[in-house]
Amino acid sequence: MNSLASLYPLLAVVAGALIVLLLEVFIKKDRRDYLGFVSLAFLAAAACLAVLSWNKGLMYFQGTLSLDNLAVFLTLLFSLAVAFVILLSLKYIGQQEANHGEIFALLLLALSGLMIMTSSSDLLVIFLGLEVLSVSSYALAGLRRKDEKSGEAALKYFLLGSFASAFLVLGLAFLFGAARSTFIPEIIVHFGTAAGPSAMGLFGIALVLVGFGFKIAVVPFHMWTPDVYEGAPTPVTAFFSVGPKAAGFVVLLRVFMNFWDTAQNDSLIFWALWTMSVLTMIVGNLVALRQTNVKRILAYSSIAHAGYLLVAILARDYSGLVFYLAAYLFMNIGAFAALIGLSKTGTEYLELDDFAGIGFRYPWIGGTLSVFLLSLAGFPPTAGFLAKFYVFSAAVRAGLIPLVVIGVLASLVSVFYYLRIVVYMYMREPGREVDIEADNPALLLVLFLCLYGVLQLGIFPGNILLIIKQAIASLPVF
Amino acid sequence: MNFPILSFVTFLPVAGAVLLIFVSKEKTSLHRYLALAFTLITFAASLVLYFNFDGAIADPQFIEKSGWLGYGINYHLGIDGISLWLVLLTTFLMPIAVLSSWTYIQKRVKEFFIFMLLLEAGIIGVFVSLNLFLFYVFWEAMLIPMYFLIGVWGGPRRVYATLKFVLMTMFGSLLMLVAIFVLYSLYYKATGTYSLEIFDFYKLILNPRIQGWLFLGFGLAFAIKVPMFPFHTWLPDAHVEAPTAGSVILAAVLLKMGTYGFLRFALPLFPDALEKFLPLLSVLALIGIIYGGLMALIQKDIKSLVAYSSVSHMGLIMLAVFSLNPEGIQGAIYQMLNHGLSTGALFLIVGILYERAHTRLIKDFGGVSSQMPVFSAFFLVCLLSSVGLPGLNGFVGEILCLFGVFKASQLQAILAVSTVILAAAYLLWMYQRVMHGPITNEKIRSFKDLNKRELGYLVPIIIMMFWMGIYPQAFLRKTDASVSRLLDRVHNREKIFLQESARTPSLNRDRPVATEAGPAVEQALIDLERAK
Repeated sequence: MNSLASLYPLLAVVAGALIVLLLEVFIKKDRRDYLGFVSLAFLAAAACLAVLSWNKGLMYFQGTLSLDNLAVFLTLLFSLAVAFVILLSLKYIGQQEANHGEIFALLLLALSGLMIMTSSSDLLVIFLGLEVLSVSSYALAGLRRKDEKSGEAALKYFLLGSFASAFLVLGLAFLFGAARSTFIPEIIVHFGTAAGPSAMGLFGIALVLVGFGFKIAVVPFHMWTPDVYEGAPTPVTAFFSVGPKAAGFVVLLRVFMNFWDTAQNDSLIFWALWTMSVLTMIVGNLVALRQTNVKRILAYSSIAHAGYLLVAILARDYSGLVFYLAAYLFMNIGAFAALIGLSKTGTEYLELDDFAGIGFRYPWIGGTLSVFLLSLAGFPPTAGFLAKFYVFSAAVRAGLIPLVVIGVLASLVSVFYYLRIVVYMYMREPGREVDIEADNPALLLVLFLCLYGVLQLGIFPGNILLIIKQAIASLPVF
Repeated sequence: MNFPILSFVTFLPVAGAVLLIFVSKEKTSLHRYLALAFTLITFAASLVLYFNFDGAIADPQFIEKSGWLGYGINYHLGIDGISLWLVLLTTFLMPIAVLSSWTYIQKRVKEFFIFMLLLEAGIIGVFVSLNLFLFYVFWEAMLIPMYFLIGVWGGPRRVYATLKFVLMTMFGSLLMLVAIFVLYSLYYKATGTYSLEIFDFYKLILNPRIQGWLFLGFGLAFAIKVPMFPFHTWLPDAHVEAPTAGSVILAAVLLKMGTYGFLRFALPLFPDALEKFLPLLSVLALIGIIYGGLMALIQKDIKSLVAYSSVSHMGLIMLAVFSLNPEGIQGAIYQMLNHGLSTGALFLIVGILYERAHTRLIKDFGGVSSQMPVFSAFFLVCLLSSVGLPGLNGFVGEILCLFGVFKASQLQAILAVSTVILAAAYLLWMYQRVMHGPITNEKIRSFKDLNKRELGYLVPIIIMMFWMGIYPQAFLRKTDASVSRLLDRVHNREKIFLQESARTPSLNRDRPVATEAGPAVEQALIDLERAK
């Protein structure tokens, strides 16, 4: 159904961003958290509007933007992620000299980019969404203006990001040349013709994969990730690790969902993705072993998880992919929330040595962080285990046994570095005096919600899983 | 029985752990008493299982089944004669382990008991799960509390030991997970329905080549857990570094998860592959027996001596399992319990010595018996039970195991007897050096004999040792039917298959005549092979 209603959630978010920008002028510098609450209100509105359009199949602009069930679910997921990030920022921006009201507006704008990306089937519109997301992200990375690392992160992200965007646009141009369209179904039709895709089409899709490979941080396009994650303000890093990655994978889902069944000669692309997946799992996990900064460990862990997610694409387990993204949201934002908890004005404790003895000193932060790390490592009964279980079992069913063996062995490596953080927290005597400002109710709220999410999705994911399956099942098949 | 007794036994310790979280850290003795109370109630509840268990029935009893995540993932609990005793062993030893930590654990008391209770739940869960998914969840989840128990409360090299333990175990279990996936998809391809039920998989007829790979996946996980030579390297480290209670549980129950895995999965699921790997496995078990015994002879540390004795004893148990006859399997199950009791007791005794002397090196002791006469008697009984003195439990188990092995291969039996000879040598020699002779270390003169608490947890073990040694029928009776069913699954699969499908026709909806299902499954496998 063609209806303006399909734009309502998006409009709510954009309106929120603009209003927050305007309000910022009138609000005193030390009362910036009001802006956070205003943003949360708009997020709630967007989420409600999205829920109301469940099962309606709304579209706009001749179907280039469609609020199908998957888009509704992801809108909810992303709104939740941004809400978590806003809650985490409330105190953080004051502590870490990033006290700019823009953070909330930028987060909302980035969210609008995510929403455009995940609700479109036209690569050009997806590109628009990506750019909205990217430009806001570049600014978010550099929010701590006085910090050199933050500046480095912003510049690096900007330069490499623009480079990747250029690849993406060039790829789109080639695809348009080959298929006479940027609409995903029509591109797939082109790949499905008996003659097989033209060289131009193949080249185009390769370039598009490079562009998205950058966004979702798969090896060999991952170089920016650790530096950007380390330099960006920690709540923003939490957002980076969840938002853009999830959106990128959803685009891949929309592309490949029909691609595998229709396309001729897809083996080239299949093996390209297979290789990227293997490299990502191996490199991400092995390099993480050598890191001593916890934020960098989580950066490499996030690269590694992109590898597991690619397995889901290869195994055609799309509901598994979305479930993994949901699980990843809770466990990763939770882990970053715990990192944010370990800070005081002007200082963040991010080196492994700082973590010595934390576990018994701050039992709630230590305990929840341990649960998130165990979930990232894939221990039952957490969401991380179930997500890996679904993805890998689907991959075995698809006959990708070597890939799964590599995957589980790579995750064995990951157990080592996740547990290393736990070792420091509980099994080492405290070294440097770590002294945190514990009074942060918003942070505790996020920690507990994430803990709840990780356990709920790990033990009783019934309804969420059902919703995801319905959303995937309602996607059009060309 | 409508009351979900198995869930109650499994999750009561979890409830205890949750309760402990909310008790203030300072109230250490309250934590101790609460942990003791919860483990005792769990033990009492598990006795209900014992009294209501019918040994004449081969199928699992106390079944609880409900849907969970769909796609064959069910919440399905039940115990048969094989798992009954392992559950009871766990619940019996847990209060003892808690008592042994009463004064041994002085720092972070609250967290210690929380992890002990979680560990108990995880172990019981492994033994009562009848769904592979549930089994795997418990199998992995149980690693986390053990990781903390060794890593936080262990000795100087605890971090190394605990990481080695977790990573080696995970290596095996992740490959087992892949094998589970393969089984899962094979079953789906063969029948069109999803299932992760162990008893559904028993019906699958797998082609021998696939069986070989799957057997490797499962077998490796269990062999690391047992541990069989050459995967035993984590064991001495973990034992030496773990706190006493951790060692007791590790030796007495955790290792049994490996043997249990062989009995429950590797043997009945992959009989053809088993046949192929049997010579290799028997040789590894024999090497384990002799190597473990020889290593135990030269240990300087009492605890690592007991640890290596475990490698040797577990080798005998595995050899008996691989004999694939009723005597061997019954003996293996019985010996699993014996080993749990006697090695657990030996670790407790090492703990008692360590609490007094703060050393475990044999050379630091000597003449202890003159200061602690009661203790030396208890020590001697535990030690003789481990050696296999007639009248004590170890004898019955070892004789049954050796009978079984002898029936399968005389040469193996002759070599396997060395486990008894070596055990007598290293244990009695150690006893002589520690307990007799002149007192060389002045500290020993101030040793006090066992106090009431220590007596309290040693006496039940000693009673059990005599009981199991004098009247083994009480125990073996309950396992007979399940063991013969297991052997039927290994040797006469067709017979079992027909019996079961006749009894539960609903399971074979998609296959009108059960006998034709065999070839159909076979065909699906061949198709699958070709597709790959």
